[in-house]
Amino acid sequence: MSIRVDDIRKTFGAFTALDDISLNVPHGELVGLLGPSGSGKTTLLRIIAGLEKPDHGQVFFQDRDVTTLDVRRRKVGFVFQQYALFRHLTVADNVAFGLRMLPRGERPGRDRIRARVRELLELVQMDTMAGRYPAQLSGGQKQRVALARALALEPEVLLLDEPFGALDAKVRKELRRWLRHLHEQISVTSIFVTHDQEEAMEVSDQVVVMSQGHIEQIGTPLQVYEQPASRFVFDFLGHINALEGHYDGQTWRAGEAFLRLDTEGACPDGALTLYLRPHEAALSKSPSEVARLPVTLAGRSVFGGTVTVELEPAEWGEGMLEVELDRDSWRQLDAQRDDTLYILPRLLQTVTCDGELGPRVRPA
Amino acid sequence: MPRHWHQWALVIAAFAAVTLMLVLPLVLIFAQAFSQGATMVLRNLTSADMISAIKLTLLVALITVPVNLVFGVLLAWCVTRYEFRGRKLLITLIDIPFAMSPVVAGLCYLVVYGTQGVVGQWLDGLGVQLMFALPGIVMVTVFVTCPYVARVLIPLMESQGQDEEEAAVLLGASGWQTFWYVTLPKIRWALLYGVVLTNARAVGEFGAVSVVSGLIRGDTLTLPLLVQMLNEDYNTVGAFTAAGLLAAMALLTLLLKTVLEWRQRGKLNVAQGETA
Repeated sequence: MSIRVDDIRKTFGAFTALDDISLNVPHGELVGLLGPSGSGKTTLLRIIAGLEKPDHGQVFFQDRDVTTLDVRRRKVGFVFQQYALFRHLTVADNVAFGLRMLPRGERPGRDRIRARVRELLELVQMDTMAGRYPAQLSGGQKQRVALARALALEPEVLLLDEPFGALDAKVRKELRRWLRHLHEQISVTSIFVTHDQEEAMEVSDQVVVMSQGHIEQIGTPLQVYEQPASRFVFDFLGHINALEGHYDGQTWRAGEAFLRLDTEGACPDGALTLYLRPHEAALSKSPSEVARLPVTLAGRSVFGGTVTVELEPAEWGEGMLEVELDRDSWRQLDAQRDDTLYILPRLLQTVTCDGELGPRVRPA
Repeated sequence: MPRHWHQWALVIAAFAAVTLMLVLPLVLIFAQAFSQGATMVLRNLTSADMISAIKLTLLVALITVPVNLVFGVLLAWCVTRYEFRGRKLLITLIDIPFAMSPVVAGLCYLVVYGTQGVVGQWLDGLGVQLMFALPGIVMVTVFVTCPYVARVLIPLMESQGQDEEEAAVLLGASGWQTFWYVTLPKIRWALLYGVVLTNARAVGEFGAVSVVSGLIRGDTLTLPLLVQMLNEDYNTVGAFTAAGLLAAMALLTLLLKTVLEWRQRGKLNVAQGETA
């Protein structure tokens, strides 16, 4: 079942949580709502579920207007960040709850309910824990039970509010792989909310980037990363280095540092900010003809195959810069703390004077 | 365990104080009641006035407790589940019966609902008498005991949040189903605790009831009022028999309360113990 949101506005007092939002989620897709806290993503999810009423605008499931439809008749599966399991019921009774609340005519018999619960618990790999109470489960186990409970009524829409937000890093990673896998098994249109870029990138078919009640960009994970529609999106998707300086049509300068750039006339002369992603640069012990960005090595951290190097600009710019190298390049560089190094950018994003994104450029 | 002599001294002093101030008077109530033998106690217990007072007291409690149970749950639900103007004020207003002297509460009801009062006069014209009768006694008892259930529930329901209720509604439960299958199980021990407190106070209330009762023997005397009446009549055995009854009810309440608390803690420990 596809989900369409049309021109939704929601205010809480003087605060505008959603400012005329429109969104279309095709049948069977897994869409991630990504944004910082206060961007309105949870409010949008709660409006789609029917837990909040919009000030104006409409919500459609397929072609049916459900805007005024009561929560309990929308039949959406919903997963809360804090699990919201019924603490006085066992795992099996939690999962059976929705089936038992059905009106007498639609309610399956006792044996049918028991069989369905077993089937769902097997799906979430919790069948051995059926008799336990929520207080006796770990966070990851609780969230899997919550998911089984949400799927019990075979909803055509599944909504997840920061489903892995309260879990530790390792369990989170495991669970999101598993969610992706589960989504491929059962055909349900899903929307999940997250503030974790990595999570949104890994799990979603489409990412919806939100900020301050607006949608900044909708696209596949690759699209939003490689062709960010706004400065906010570029900023929000991973760490960036901001380099501030002046451009005279050929050369960008900041104190002693310079870069020869061809912006093909897109950037006017004057102040020019460049964004540099940590993995789109190399480090060297000498400057090149087109790039001279002297820095002092301030520190490094190794995680997996990547070495993150912390660098302090030598008398140009302010704050720390970050460059990511693979282990081999780092070993070849053979640098010590306080050594002077030069950053060699491969790709830079220009930011125009009005604060919007300009073309992406290479030093040449 | 105490180790030094001054720690022992403190413990002994505390026990002595408790014995002198709490246990001794309680024991003496029963001692006085039985001072002229069990037959006198039995005769007093079966006297018409005593039976009427016991019936009245239980009847008042039987009406008051359910009324305040429903009122308390609704009020707690209202102030913890909804945001509205005047919510804080309402929470403060609940405490008025705690803050106000019961005698003053009784007088307030007398002024409004007595035959000289605004509402009372009008009702009198219709042939309805509230004061100096059962309705008046029930009204002031409900007033005096109305905060107990709500006061116990509000902090609990506030801390529990409403995620579980939302989850229930999303799973298709109606408002009534949500309350019955989700909210009530979450608050049942606290609710029982509130009921026990309400009951204890309803049975024992003296000040407010004495103002509106009219003190008609065999008709509007509750047990606490009867204790005072018998005491003024120099019927020591009678007064202490009635007092003993009240004390027994209080002890029963205390026992119930302890069991409830112990039960709640026990449940918590079981859940935590098995996680570890």
